[in-house]
Amino acid sequence: MSTTAIMAHMIPYFPDRELSYAAAHGLIDSKVDYLEVQFPFSDPSADGPTIEDACGRALASGFSTARGFEFVHTLVDRGAPPVFIMTYAGIAYASGVKEFCDLAKQSGAAGLIVPDLPYDYDEGLYEAGIAQGLAVVPVVAPSTTPERLAEVLRGRPEYVYAALRVGITGAATELGQDNLEFLDRVGASGAKVLAGFGIRSRDQVRMLSEHVHAVVVGSAFVKAISAAAEAAGPDEPAAAAEAVYSAVETLVSALRPD
Amino acid sequence: MPQHQYRAFKNTFGEFGGRYVAEVLRPPLDELEAAFIAAMNDPQYRAEFDSICTEYIGRPTPLLHARNTSREIGGAQLYIKLEGLANTGAHKINNAVGQALLAKRMGKTRIIAETGAGQHGVATAAICAKLGLECCIYMGEVDIARQKPNVFCMELYGAEVRPVSGGSRTLKDAVNEALRDWASSFANTHYLIGSALGPSPFPDMVREFQSVVGQETKAQLKAAGATPDALVACVGGGSNSIGFFSPYLESETPRLIGVEAGGRGMNTGEHAARMNGLGKTGIVQGYKSLFLLDDDGQVQATHSVSAGLDYPGIGPQLAHLGSIGRIEFTRATDTEALDALKLFARNEGVIFALESAHGGAAALKLAAELPPSATVVVNMSGRGDKDIFITAREIAPESWKRFLEQEVQTL
Repeated sequence: MSTTAIMAHMIPYFPDRELSYAAAHGLIDSKVDYLEVQFPFSDPSADGPTIEDACGRALASGFSTARGFEFVHTLVDRGAPPVFIMTYAGIAYASGVKEFCDLAKQSGAAGLIVPDLPYDYDEGLYEAGIAQGLAVVPVVAPSTTPERLAEVLRGRPEYVYAALRVGITGAATELGQDNLEFLDRVGASGAKVLAGFGIRSRDQVRMLSEHVHAVVVGSAFVKAISAAAEAAGPDEPAAAAEAVYSAVETLVSALRPD
Repeated sequence: MPQHQYRAFKNTFGEFGGRYVAEVLRPPLDELEAAFIAAMNDPQYRAEFDSICTEYIGRPTPLLHARNTSREIGGAQLYIKLEGLANTGAHKINNAVGQALLAKRMGKTRIIAETGAGQHGVATAAICAKLGLECCIYMGEVDIARQKPNVFCMELYGAEVRPVSGGSRTLKDAVNEALRDWASSFANTHYLIGSALGPSPFPDMVREFQSVVGQETKAQLKAAGATPDALVACVGGGSNSIGFFSPYLESETPRLIGVEAGGRGMNTGEHAARMNGLGKTGIVQGYKSLFLLDDDGQVQATHSVSAGLDYPGIGPQLAHLGSIGRIEFTRATDTEALDALKLFARNEGVIFALESAHGGAAALKLAAELPPSATVVVNMSGRGDKDIFITAREIAPESWKRFLEQEVQTL
């Protein structure tokens, strides 16, 4: 039993509806500890090319906010670990932030991650989320000033998402003393630290294990799903679903420290 | 530049504006706000800006009384602010100079920028060349294809033009890509936004640097003994209109009229008009404003013959001034813009940029409804040289085709 939890990131309707369900089932069955389900936005300016492309494909495959909540609901019914819905301000705002929180709760989600609704421009997210018993997860970065970090932590969030470096998702991350000290500063508040950006190997997970509650793996899953779907081709949907399912299982076991 | 003490601004305009960014981008924005306020209160910085305006941009740009056109339509006296005569061909240079000087003050060595039509990219590349700053311009692949002359100029100035292949491959996607770059590069890099939009402090900064256009026009009208009844400007993101209108935002007159891209016509759905109930309030690219969105908040496709007007959002201050009724909004179609462009070329010897020709088209309509004692001023924010590959194809397709074939032969 490893001490470090794994939060696996995925995008509903990427590469299409069926294969995204297959990927989710693979993640649930391989007992990841948390699921981060990203509701795609047309203009994901904080994501790198891997997740950007995947969001575009998900939208082209028919993703809608209503279908996103239905997706979460289905996974929760199937015994998913706690699901955190990640999205951009534009998507939450379009439903109405309070309504979005209500729908998230009804879908069975455990929490919300909306990086571009920071505490001082949150459109009521923190209040509405907490009223619904959802964990609203602030996202901080190593560039966050001590003053702002203190403000973020003042709300006593149960979880804090710590980006391991500045920049966007998907690029490689060098883990060094700086990142680890930053994680320790965030963790000192008592919040459970979810650390992500550029995590793709067991060595990284091992290195982070004493400093975080969970590591978040995003682009690596998107790439694995994409590669499996492509290798199987569009003509054999059942085989493709099988391939996607095993690809995520393989990646989960490759990430888990022995 | 106005010499009043510059006060800290509010980060919002009514319900619009704000700084909706992930924490990673907060430090550079907070740093930028502080540096901007300090610079605006520093006489040395202002003097440097003014000096570049005179010796490099070529300010003041002329205000032309369009006498032939005024006579022909028999309505109001039409004046044209020839902002397109500014060095690099459009108003974009004013803001590029202001921000590039600011970036230098902040110790930044690299500039990134987005561009749609390419005018902002050209202006940014030019001032970076002059000030010795490294320059990288993000530009959608669609825009690169339709604005090749500007790409050539940016590269001639020594800038790197990075094609953007994501999304709709136009201006909004170039903004996304620049934001991605900035999220990891802000220690040495300034993001030089060209439109009056984005997270604060950009809308305030861009308006202040573009206010030179409105201040000059006001003084020139006074010198000509004319009192404006209406000011007209095209609106994409809104940098030329907010600068042009800026001296009058707090007063009740003159009428201020923003002209959006009506594209192929409103019944086709292929347009970029966000005002008059067409746009929805949303949060995109770090600010709250009116955007073309679907019910889920996904950004919709737009169309305009002009690359500079097809952005799906409008600057937050313009959205606010529209909602309280200070600025009226209207539209011009692709065809109306082309017709205005032809008319001003023949009557006045002036070729508008396609973007600005939308303003020209609306100004012609308005002038026709007013008596000869009235005064209407339109901002020709850019000149039309850059559009020759679009306008020639639309206006004289056969002879243009023969010319291009001949060019290919001689290559």
